[in-house]
Amino acid sequence: MRALHAVGRAALIAVPVLLISTFITFGLGALSDQNPAAAAMGETATQADIDRLNHEFGLDRPFLERYVTWIGDAFTGDLGRSWFTHIPVAESIAQRLPVSLSIAALALLLAVVLGASAGIGAALTAGSWFDRAVTAVSAALSTIPAFVAGIALIVVFAVLIPVFPAGGYVPPSQGIGPWLTYLALPAVALSLDSAADLARQLRTGLVGTLRENYVTGAVVRGLGPRRVVFVHALRNGAGPALAVLGLHVPRLIGGAVITETVFAMPGLGQLATTGALQGDVPVVQGTLLVAIALVLASSLVVNVALARLRPGSGRTV
Amino acid sequence: MTAALEADGVEVWLGRRATSRILDGVGLTAPAGQIVGLIGETGSGKTTLARAIAGLAPLHAGAVRVDGVPVSGLRGAELRRFRRTGRVQYVFQDPLRSLDPDLTVAESVAEGLAVRGDGRAADRRTAAVAALRLVGLDPALGDRLPGQISGGQRQRVTLARALAVGPRVLLLDEPVSALDAANRNHVLRVLDRLRRERELAIVLITHDLGSLAGVADRIVVLHHGRVVEEGPATQVLLAPEHPYTQRLIASVPSIDGPRPIYARSTT
Repeated sequence: MRALHAVGRAALIAVPVLLISTFITFGLGALSDQNPAAAAMGETATQADIDRLNHEFGLDRPFLERYVTWIGDAFTGDLGRSWFTHIPVAESIAQRLPVSLSIAALALLLAVVLGASAGIGAALTAGSWFDRAVTAVSAALSTIPAFVAGIALIVVFAVLIPVFPAGGYVPPSQGIGPWLTYLALPAVALSLDSAADLARQLRTGLVGTLRENYVTGAVVRGLGPRRVVFVHALRNGAGPALAVLGLHVPRLIGGAVITETVFAMPGLGQLATTGALQGDVPVVQGTLLVAIALVLASSLVVNVALARLRPGSGRTV
Repeated sequence: MTAALEADGVEVWLGRRATSRILDGVGLTAPAGQIVGLIGETGSGKTTLARAIAGLAPLHAGAVRVDGVPVSGLRGAELRRFRRTGRVQYVFQDPLRSLDPDLTVAESVAEGLAVRGDGRAADRRTAAVAALRLVGLDPALGDRLPGQISGGQRQRVTLARALAVGPRVLLLDEPVSALDAANRNHVLRVLDRLRRERELAIVLITHDLGSLAGVADRIVVLHHGRVVEEGPATQVLLAPEHPYTQRLIASVPSIDGPRPIYARSTT
């Protein structure tokens, strides 16, 4: 019931956010003064070519009418066609989305595993050398941008010690092993910042919670250390960390653009970059729309998780 | 007869040096069916003594025995097994921080029973409802979260949680500080009844000397980590011997002047 309430509340926020952000995205595309004839034919395009292709792509219609048609079509899965290749944008995205989602999902998994282990370990041993090491390493890692980490990882693990490929991608259909091998370095590069932030937030939250009387009381009642940490302390101390993780999901999706470039991976980021460089407005608009939808969906998931994890948060007499 | 709780020569140090000593050879005995009041100023070591008895503050010296069994030497799984029996229960001073904000009142009250493996969930719920009734709370509160009940109700929930597991020794740190006069009297009456019916040994830590007057059998006075006076409640409250105890009792505010509590009681 609480989770349903959270879904409803998050959806109420998500709908206007989706409409406003897509309106801005579409508006920027319209303001860019790009046209399909210029994108496809370059400087050889005549005014007649421009007018013909503008009409073909419906660009001679009023802005609002075009936006309503675009967003309406988008809900049915039609994101238009590339001005450059004439391939449906949805088809290009469908081909490349698994690459970006694979990197982002593995990076998220690594961030959660590394960040949670380091954060919980540091909190349970507060004041120890391990705690101080986690704090220092986290602070250092959060200052390193993903592309620098990516290049460093390539130099070390693909050039000096050649255990991972320096770039490229193979789908999981060609084997889980090779798929993970190609994903490993970009996912690690992308996850470091999120793992560091998660570890710091979790450490701070848990250290405070472990001092609460209800945690001490649980110890007095004979609860084992695992139950004390996971049932009482972690649930209450992990709220801020989970919220921070929610904020990192858009960064993981956005960061994949840079990581895909560094590791030459055919993902959504590379599609958007190529589209932007070619002035292919439908491709850029389509990828942005999908990115916005992903961010809103992840935010929804985080809100539901928070509502389930912390039923008592935000409730007062 | 063996007392339900015996603490002998308890020393607790904060650090490695003797100057960090907060309890210095403290002894406290609470026979079954008796309420022992523990008084002293803030920082005198009352809460540390309760924490030491509950095994939350490591002893530098001394021993704690419950029903004659030395518990201060227990460690790890052995200590957890003893704790799960629920024989020693500790009610903390701050009721807001004593309840997990994400567990319902009934879940919190029944947790000790669940950890011990008592009965099925329905039986534990029944026991939780009975414990809530015992402290004068509406069982309907069982479905609420701690953030949805008042401070006084929270304080009584923490008491109900301690009573639900059937303790032998109850350590109560300011258990009625958040209650209004009517509820305070109700809780004190409940404690008074339970110690007789269940042969409970209760250590009642309080600043409110008035709340000890009617219920405590003995009073122990702590000052700078040492017991400076100990005796039957009426004797300590009406004829305190140690100058510190006299000052402590004389400082109790009075509506008709700064007269000591023992002077008012005799008029």
